[in-house]
Amino acid sequence: MKQPIVIAKNLTKSYTKGLRALDNVSLTVNQGKVLVVMGPSGSGKSTLIRTFNGLETFDRGELNVLGIKIDSTHDERQIQRIRRRVGMVFQQFNLFPHLSILENITLAPINVQKRRQIDAEEYAMYLLNQMGIDSHANKYPSQLSGGEQQRVAIARALALKPELLLFDEPTSALDPERINEVLDAIRRLAEQGMTMVVVTHEVGFAKDVSDQVLFMDSGKVIEKSTPDIFFSNARHERSRKFLNQLDKHS
Amino acid sequence: MNRNQKIFSQFGICIICISVIGILINNLTINLIRTGLGFNFSWIFKPASFALAEHVLPYSSSDSYAWALFIGWLNSLKVIISSLLLATCLGTLIGFARTGKNSLLGLFSAGYITIIRQTPLLLQLMFWYFVGFLGLKNNMFFHIKNIFKISNQGIEFLGLTLSSEFSALLFGLSIFTSAYIAEVIRGGILSVSRGQWEAFRSLGLSERKGLLKIIIPQALPAIIPGLTSQYLNLAKNSTLAIAVGYSDIYAINDTIINQTGRAIECFLILLTSFLLLNLLISNSMETINKIIINSRKYN
Amino acid sequence: MLNFTLIKIFFKKLRKTLFSNSFNTIISLLLIVITYLFCLNTFKWLIYNANWEVITSNLPLYAFGSFPADERWRPAAWLISLLVLSLVTLFGPKWKWLHKNLLIAWASTIPLGLYLLYGGIGLSPIMSRHWGGLTLTILLTVCSSILSLPLGIILALCRQSSIPLIQKLSSIYIDVMRAIPLIAVLFFGQLLIPLFLPVGIEIDRVWRAIFAFTLFVSAYIAEDIRGGLQSIPNTQIEAANSLGLNQYQIIQLILIPQALRIALPALTNQSIGLFQNTSLMAILGLVELLGVGRSILANPEFIGEYIEVYVWLACVYWSVCTIMAVLARYLEKRMTINQANF
Repeated sequence: MKQPIVIAKNLTKSYTKGLRALDNVSLTVNQGKVLVVMGPSGSGKSTLIRTFNGLETFDRGELNVLGIKIDSTHDERQIQRIRRRVGMVFQQFNLFPHLSILENITLAPINVQKRRQIDAEEYAMYLLNQMGIDSHANKYPSQLSGGEQQRVAIARALALKPELLLFDEPTSALDPERINEVLDAIRRLAEQGMTMVVVTHEVGFAKDVSDQVLFMDSGKVIEKSTPDIFFSNARHERSRKFLNQLDKHS
Repeated sequence: MNRNQKIFSQFGICIICISVIGILINNLTINLIRTGLGFNFSWIFKPASFALAEHVLPYSSSDSYAWALFIGWLNSLKVIISSLLLATCLGTLIGFARTGKNSLLGLFSAGYITIIRQTPLLLQLMFWYFVGFLGLKNNMFFHIKNIFKISNQGIEFLGLTLSSEFSALLFGLSIFTSAYIAEVIRGGILSVSRGQWEAFRSLGLSERKGLLKIIIPQALPAIIPGLTSQYLNLAKNSTLAIAVGYSDIYAINDTIINQTGRAIECFLILLTSFLLLNLLISNSMETINKIIINSRKYN
Repeated sequence: MLNFTLIKIFFKKLRKTLFSNSFNTIISLLLIVITYLFCLNTFKWLIYNANWEVITSNLPLYAFGSFPADERWRPAAWLISLLVLSLVTLFGPKWKWLHKNLLIAWASTIPLGLYLLYGGIGLSPIMSRHWGGLTLTILLTVCSSILSLPLGIILALCRQSSIPLIQKLSSIYIDVMRAIPLIAVLFFGQLLIPLFLPVGIEIDRVWRAIFAFTLFVSAYIAEDIRGGLQSIPNTQIEAANSLGLNQYQIIQLILIPQALRIALPALTNQSIGLFQNTSLMAILGLVELLGVGRSILANPEFIGEYIEVYVWLACVYWSVCTIMAVLARYLEKRMTINQANF
């Protein structure tokens, strides 16, 4: 029996004017599983995964990540403990422009986990090799293409040897021909048994990789099902409409 | 940081600040007692007993220190406003010359800007005073009948006489500031996109009309803040008047300190006068900015 | 053949830029005449009328002030070490250990300079009133620049702080400092700093000047760095947060390096401005470069030779400023070469 990595119970976050970014969201992610979150923009899917490592706060509900509980008081220390064990990849890569690729990756291992520089660099080179970009180690982020930068961002997240990886629309800012190199990297991670939560619009990728699909709209979970069911025979009208629109665009 | 930590650290900072200020004030009072000077402003109504060469309002050495300070403030205002106007005209001309098509003119203005900006203002002021005015012959260096004449006595124009100190300061400050204003104007013009130039040219507008109707209105929002900060700099730089012997607010404070030794009080007076001057300048520029924005409601 | 076409193109271009219409033609011709007259007269003056003895016979004074003649190698050595260090910083090899130690090297220029100037162990002591000339100008610039940078960074961080009290206090300090003229800060620095110190502790005029400059310039630097900090996107902090870096690590490793790099042009302008502004100490009793000029002009032997001295001083200030500006531009370029689209 695999233990759950993320347990969210009734997460609720409201903005002023009664608008809800999250509305009673509950979910569980088990170890080694991949959860794909889909939904139109503004549906709260980014907010949801950003609560998992404390980048967003919530007003009500409970969250248990890797056995560490956080509630609406947001204890800094608990969040810090979670962040050391959870990696995140952003839509806009968010690499540090003043640091070389290698320094970007070794920054956290050296400063957060207090590893020796040589060890950190060795592991960083191994990760870059895995991502197929080890020749760029001494370049700076702006010298790389979007796809390469995003692979560096994945390596940076992996450098802390995380037990959970969060992806916030990792391919939305990429040129179409660059999307696959990033998706392939994520696919390989899934094959290796990494637990992941991925916010994405890539239907094909979601079909292949996910164990569970969550569809959200206006902060609510509309549908939670396996990819087979969701993509061929979605239960809800709203989900079918969304999938139709995605099809038209691609 | 959570709320408790914040309150705690504010409390800690309060204690540190109060103790540092306390130590400083303690030292100050000990030193003031030692030198026999207290801290009070009663001296300000005693007669100043020094003469001022230049005063806009009537002044004699039997007037109070307060009146002398006010005269000084007016003198500062006089030189600031006149150099501000002159510098703006000169700076605008040079700014346009720098961006214009005539490459020889552009080269000239670039040279002007680098020479003025890369040498200290104080040196320039001394140059204008000792070489530019005092170096002239007594009997008129340059004159057009009796309407306009420049000599080592200053400038005379239709019965209006400007002392050589004032003229040197006016020249020095205006020329120095104009180089900076030229760069502000140039930056503003360059901030308007290339496409706007192509657009008005393609409509058949002449260069001059296009510049006036299309480019300048769009450049103004970028120019005004730069101008404001240059005007504030000009006001602060006007205190170098002391180097040429013009009695502005700072020079009068300096004289008073030499006479009475009241450094702290004078420091506070100078601080207030400059906060007032700054408020005056930035508020007027704000008003101008508002008028410009209101006159065109393209937003 | 080739030369001929080149000349033709040159004249075509000349006609287009200088004589495109009647107004332009008049201006161009006027400028040419003015240049000709100006060059002619300046040239005549330089060769026949100017008395360069006031410069040539006083060169050591301009460089070192009234520093004792047989000890002049000390300020000279310091100036040369500064020059070497700047050259190494700019053009030196990109060894990692060198770059790590450059900061320490720059910080140690202050104690080195003070040791060489003050004397002490192994060197005969020399009072600060004998310091002067370009040496003093550069000492004031270097010391104040190096001291005001950390103070400016701290002030900028305080102004961005989430704690209201810190934020208010640093805002007041920065705004008041930026409202008053430099000469007032320097003058009252000379007068008031001793008043705020405990009885018995005294610091000399040079140090009072350095402190006043530091207090003044740090307020301006703080605003430049605040501009840099504000232009760093929030996503950088989020990324650093998600890697588990704590607040201090984020400030030290992510925010300050980026803010400094963004503010670099403004910061170099501040230090060029500072170099020019050290001349204000000439009317506040220090004999730095401009002060030397003034004292030489007060000498009966050279009385009235204003133009020569001022032109010479302007040349010196202009050259140093231009060198500083060129080096700064080179530094900026080298930093952005591999980090384009910063």
